[in-house]
Amino acid sequence: MADVTVDESSFARAAGRQLLIYGLLTLIGFTAIMFGLNVMASFVGSDTGSSKAIDASTKSITLALRDEPPQLDSTKATDAISGQILGHVMEGLLRQDAQNKIQAGVAETWEITPEGATFHLRPDALWSDGKPVTAHDFVFSWRTVVDPKTASEYAFIMYFVKNAEAINLGTLPITELGVTGLDDRTLRVEFERPLSFFEKVVAFKTFLPIREDFYKQTKGRYGADTHEMLYNGPFRVTSWVHGASLKVVKSEHYWRRDEIKLNSINWAYMTSDPNATFNFFKDGKIAVAGLSADSLANAMEQRWQIKQFQEGVVFFLEFNQRPDRLTRNLNLRKALQLVNDPSEVVNKVTKLPGYLVSDSLFPVYLDGVKDKFKVEKPPKQIVRDVAAARRHLELAKQELGLKEIPPLALLSDDTPTANVMAEYYQGLFRDTLGLELRIDKQIFKQRLAKMTSGEFDLVTAGWGPDYEDLLTFGDLFASWNLNNRGRYASAEYDRQVRIVQSSMDQVERVEAFAKMQDLIIDDAVILFNYERGASYVTHPQIKGIVRRVIGSDPDFSYAWIDEGQG
Amino acid sequence: MTVAMRHLSAPDLTPVHTEQVRDVLTRPSLSYWQDAWIRLKANRRALVSLWIVVGLLVFTLIGPLMWRVDPATQDLDQLSQPPGVDRTATLVAPPVTWSGEALTDEEATGLRAIGRADTQAVRLHWDPMPEATGGYRVYRNLFPVGPEKAYGLPLLMNMEKTWYEDRLDLRPTTYYYSVAPLDESGEHAGEVQTIELNLNRVITIDEARKRGLIGDEETPAPGATVELKLHPLGTDYLGRDLFARLMHGAQVSLFIGMVAPMLFVAFGILYGATAGFIGGAVDAVMMRFADFVVALPFLLFMILFKFIFQVEAGESGIMPMLVALVILSWPATSRLVRGQILQIREEGYIGASRLLGAKTNYLILRHMIPNTMGVILVTLTFAVPSAIFTEAFLSFIGMGVAPPTPSWGSMCNEGIKTMLTTPHELIFPAVLISITVLAFNLLGDGLRDALDARMRSRE
Repeated sequence: MADVTVDESSFARAAGRQLLIYGLLTLIGFTAIMFGLNVMASFVGSDTGSSKAIDASTKSITLALRDEPPQLDSTKATDAISGQILGHVMEGLLRQDAQNKIQAGVAETWEITPEGATFHLRPDALWSDGKPVTAHDFVFSWRTVVDPKTASEYAFIMYFVKNAEAINLGTLPITELGVTGLDDRTLRVEFERPLSFFEKVVAFKTFLPIREDFYKQTKGRYGADTHEMLYNGPFRVTSWVHGASLKVVKSEHYWRRDEIKLNSINWAYMTSDPNATFNFFKDGKIAVAGLSADSLANAMEQRWQIKQFQEGVVFFLEFNQRPDRLTRNLNLRKALQLVNDPSEVVNKVTKLPGYLVSDSLFPVYLDGVKDKFKVEKPPKQIVRDVAAARRHLELAKQELGLKEIPPLALLSDDTPTANVMAEYYQGLFRDTLGLELRIDKQIFKQRLAKMTSGEFDLVTAGWGPDYEDLLTFGDLFASWNLNNRGRYASAEYDRQVRIVQSSMDQVERVEAFAKMQDLIIDDAVILFNYERGASYVTHPQIKGIVRRVIGSDPDFSYAWIDEGQG
Repeated sequence: MTVAMRHLSAPDLTPVHTEQVRDVLTRPSLSYWQDAWIRLKANRRALVSLWIVVGLLVFTLIGPLMWRVDPATQDLDQLSQPPGVDRTATLVAPPVTWSGEALTDEEATGLRAIGRADTQAVRLHWDPMPEATGGYRVYRNLFPVGPEKAYGLPLLMNMEKTWYEDRLDLRPTTYYYSVAPLDESGEHAGEVQTIELNLNRVITIDEARKRGLIGDEETPAPGATVELKLHPLGTDYLGRDLFARLMHGAQVSLFIGMVAPMLFVAFGILYGATAGFIGGAVDAVMMRFADFVVALPFLLFMILFKFIFQVEAGESGIMPMLVALVILSWPATSRLVRGQILQIREEGYIGASRLLGAKTNYLILRHMIPNTMGVILVTLTFAVPSAIFTEAFLSFIGMGVAPPTPSWGSMCNEGIKTMLTTPHELIFPAVLISITVLAFNLLGDGLRDALDARMRSRE
């Protein structure tokens, strides 16, 4: 027996030695392969290879993009990323400058009357193939937007143009649209109804020009790839690796080319992972990085200068008021409204700096008559009152004829913030009212689909402005608005929306908006949460990044590299 | 002389004991299981693992009875609290809304805190700065402001007021507040003032009463101190007790980890034994079907089952997970068992049994099943950690339990988002998963050694 054991252990030792040798060999081989691959990768090289956040000698910057732009066709683009890229490579009749003021774009001069507007196009506005931008390019793209065949989600924004709504509904041919090219350099727009903020709307991405001959030649693939598109803005796309990177360089045909200081912008990474962008920034690979809740503390520790921007997007929980839903009951909604405390949400749940406590449908930055709207018309304040909420809940149970309220479904995004919010509300409603909340976590697209089909009791929703007027928020709850996903319908609210749509008198409009603000609270249409803010860090040498609530954001076309800093 | 005749009795007629007493070389007869148990006991790793598994069961089943804390209760006064922090809080009156204009005629100048600075609110006030044409910006930092001019978190920008109330996620620590005057374009325009503030942990009397920290009749004076609720392993991002969540999470993990393997191993035995015993064409067809099942993608089926089961949004996905695991994981066991049965079927003692007239039932019960038992047990112990891991993985990607029910996987998923700032939210569930999976694996390893029939003769 004893001998056998010795044999075994010596055998084990030999086997162990062998294993160790194999292990070491594997390790060495692995390292060698890694080095080899690295060397080979440097031979192959790519556009993204110049992994430096800022190159002062070539005046180029490297950035990360949150997501791939779905397409760069301005008639169809709805998302913020397409909007950002379009803002760099295209220019409309009017544009926003670095102070977010409206300036001349392709149009050199323009006149606006209550009946319509006339734009005089500048002769030196050129497409990236050198041909001039003409009035016809605008006529073509605007007609494409309202064409029912395009099914543009932003067609409604053009409804102030004569016949636009009728064309979009298919009752008139697209040639009837109230926009005509009097000659190559004069564009005439006729109004269906006057618009007090017309200039701001024309700078929006849906109003960008498209050249007809090129559009037809792409056979429906316009804006899908680098060479499937013509550019007339400060930059043009030179490389677009789908899902990986997008690079733009300064356009030699742009009329304001002397004012553009950057030669190229390289969105070398496409990732929505905040930790990845944080590390890219830390390693000096990108010039701007957004900060998440987790990376904020780290950014402080790194001694970075943190910047902040109010995005102007209002977030709230919206009730489903379709006939088959319990949340159609006003007392039930009131009960939930009375336990909701937006300041607790902002200070204890989202815990992110720059988030404002929301107490109205309208965000703080929008103008009233002379001052900000919310300074002129402060909304009613709701104070958490659990006892009153329970009384409303009892009333609701009586009205609904229920002993207990069955579980309510909360439709929610699957972003970290939305997750925490949903779980917070689940706990809050359980502890204060004994209501069960079921969380239906969906990705953004799926959430929108379910919102549209009405499969929810409550939904975490957000609304960003399309143009700079209170109406962009106000008409959200008009009974005919398809984005009114909860189907709130109030004759009084609709009446106020009609007033603000047609009136040119700002005092009357602000009064109507104040009434809408009250109705939203009295009818408990939504539970207020917050106005979102964004924290981010930038490379100390890069200056002049423009942040915008509406339009291309962040805009680098006015940026420059300041070598003295750093 | 008479010879006394002795009457012989029975003992006299027994044969003379001629045999010598030899050393007894036998040992008590050991059954298969006793033998296996002895060998398992000798394996220290396996034994430790066994105790860990037992401890885990106690933690899961008895723990919640001892630590009666609701895993879904949110304690917004103790958010993301690491274990072992000081829980002493000062009682204060409910907050009064402050609109800045009071106390402006104080003696002090420059940036200063108004009233007490505590975890309820920090109220800052500063003198108007002439260069602030575009308002002010308030910053809060966890670190002293150095030459990098990093002022920390921008709390609010472009305000025109000369006061600010900060309530954002205040912790009992030291903060460095700065206020910067801004020009019209929003850039810094002049000297930035900074103050250092030490925050005390406070709780309002109402809150303390609501949480049961003070009795309903008690009316303590503001300024008295109370101990906040104990959270032995800290809290998560909504102030929920991590210890309670881990115990309740373990129920989900171990439920899947125990039930799913039992079911699919049982099915696998039945299927494999049938195929192996019948053999021939039936065996071939059955095993090809098993191969087909192996090729099915698990995740896809998981999603499909969620639809088939009509799991309403917000309901737990545990049942479809169980079904998917059972339906897709049995082939491995069935193959093993079939192999064993095939092998045993050809053994000589089976043939002998048959010759002696043993019936099929007897053969299966007496010979086949006991001889495959070792393999089956080992498969079972290896299936448990893999099922636990699958559950953790699926919950991690959000396909498992529905909130607020915790599971180790979903807790990891939540913890990883704040991995850098509050690592304990990730570390505890992750360590528990690792220990559990490791313990079951080592136990399985030990069992395999102990149950291996070929090792039986060895010491």
